[in-house]
This record gives sequence, C-alpha cells and structure tokens, in this order.
Amino acid sequence: MSAPESQSSARRGGPQSAAIGPLAQNRLELKITSDPANLREVRTQMEHFAQGAGWPPDICDAIGLAVNEALANVMRHGYGGARDRPIIVTAESVQGELRISIRDWAKPFDPAGLEPRHVGDIRPGGLGLLCMQKLMDVVQYERLPDGMLLKLVKKARSA
Amino acid sequence: MADAKWNMELVSAPRTRGDAVIADVRGDIDLHNSPELRTAIMAILSASKSKKLILNLGMVPYMDSSAIAVLVEALQRLRRDGGRVILTSLQPRVKGLLEIARLDTIFALVASEDDAVSL
Repeated sequence: MSAPESQSSARRGGPQSAAIGPLAQNRLELKITSDPANLREVRTQMEHFAQGAGWPPDICDAIGLAVNEALANVMRHGYGGARDRPIIVTAESVQGELRISIRDWAKPFDPAGLEPRHVGDIRPGGLGLLCMQKLMDVVQYERLPDGMLLKLVKKARSA
Repeated sequence: MADAKWNMELVSAPRTRGDAVIADVRGDIDLHNSPELRTAIMAILSASKSKKLILNLGMVPYMDSSAIAVLVEALQRLRRDGGRVILTSLQPRVKGLLEIARLDTIFALVASEDDAVSL
C-alpha cells in the first residue's frame, strides 16, 4: 500500500472515514494526518464502531485507549512530531474478534527492540506499549519496506 | 499567583488550603494538550513552596499515557523534597489507566478535595 497523498491538517473535517466492503457496518477505515488534534476524533469513532458492532462498553473503552496509545507512538516516535504525515487506521469486527491495524510510513524499526515498561515503574515514559499489551490480546508490529504496520486484536471473552 | 501563563481552561489558577497547593483540571487530556498540562503543573510547582500538590480530576473524563507521564514527572519532582501528589475524584477511565500501569498505588487517590487536604 503506497502512502496516501499528504492531507493538510488545516483542512477541516478531521479524519476521513469510509465504510468499505460488502459488510460495510463491520469495517471502518480512517485516513488521518499525524496531528495529535486528530486523536480524540479517532478514538471516538473507534469506540462507536466497536459499540455498533456489539462489543460491550468496557471493550469499547479499551479499544479507544489502545488505538490512542498506538497512534500517539506513531506521531511522537515514528514521525518525530511532524503533523502532516499519513496514518491509516482500520477496524474490523469479524468472527468474535475486533481487529485493528495502524499503518504508517515512518522510518521502519525492528520490533524485537521494543521493550515494555515494567508495571509500577515510576518514570514518565513508556506507558503506551504497556497499555496496548494490557488491553489487547494481540499486539503485533510488522516492519515494512516503507513503514510499519501494527495489528491489534481483541477477542470476545468465552461464555 | 498573579499571572498564570498557561491554558486556564485546562488547569485552573492554583489555590492553597493548609499546606497544599490545589488545582482543578478539566477536559480530555491526550497528546494534543498534555504539553499544556505539563506547562501548567510545572509552573504551579515552581511558584509554590508547598510539598503537597492536589489535582482535582473530577472534570477529566479521559487521560492517555502522555498525561499520566506529566503526573509522574510532577511526582518525581516533589518526591525529591519529600513531597507528594494527591489525585481526587478520578473518573473510571482515568482510574483504570492508572491501574493498568500499577500507578494507582504510587499516587494517593482520594474521593474529594477535603479528603486530600486532610491527608
């Protein structure tokens, strides 16, 4: 997937959303710029998507937080604070799983080098990855030639 | 403080009660505005001799890790002088995030400002 055209954060309207696919209500795609001002709208849309797909409130909250943390990491570390770089967030609710992907075109890194912070570790940084790992069942980084793809999965609890 | 040099809609002007300096925080706080939160809290700490910072979070429905990092930085700064940070009136999402990071036992969490002042 090539990088989408850079979208000026000065354009009003915020994240562009599109329901795509034959089961439109089960998939959401958002194309945003790496402006932190977009975070609130994205997590709101993600939470609403999860709610519409029938996920319970606590899971919807978890999704919103995990996506927020993942995006913040891209914005801050991947793109170094640049606000006009592309990010694509997709969500699908399929077969008892809520699958989210976050694609960026930042400098690729080796996921093996990521180390989560220890719980209770009292220092300002490093919470984002810890949150994702605590909130989601799967957190998987894939290094691509031109960026990174993060996959987050939440699985329905068994009865 | 005579002139607050931060977003007063986000963090109120500080006031004192007893040995504590207190500020009210308002709104969702994420990477977009957590730098403003930091500016405000560091300014309050710089201007105050109090070793007890009370932050009322009753009007904060959401915080992300960048906001928590600001609170941790404030805690580290105060701890150097034997001080503490007390958080009051946490909404469920904010409390949940602190619990995920096991920071709910590092900060003092209380239900109200009165409880915080009496600690």
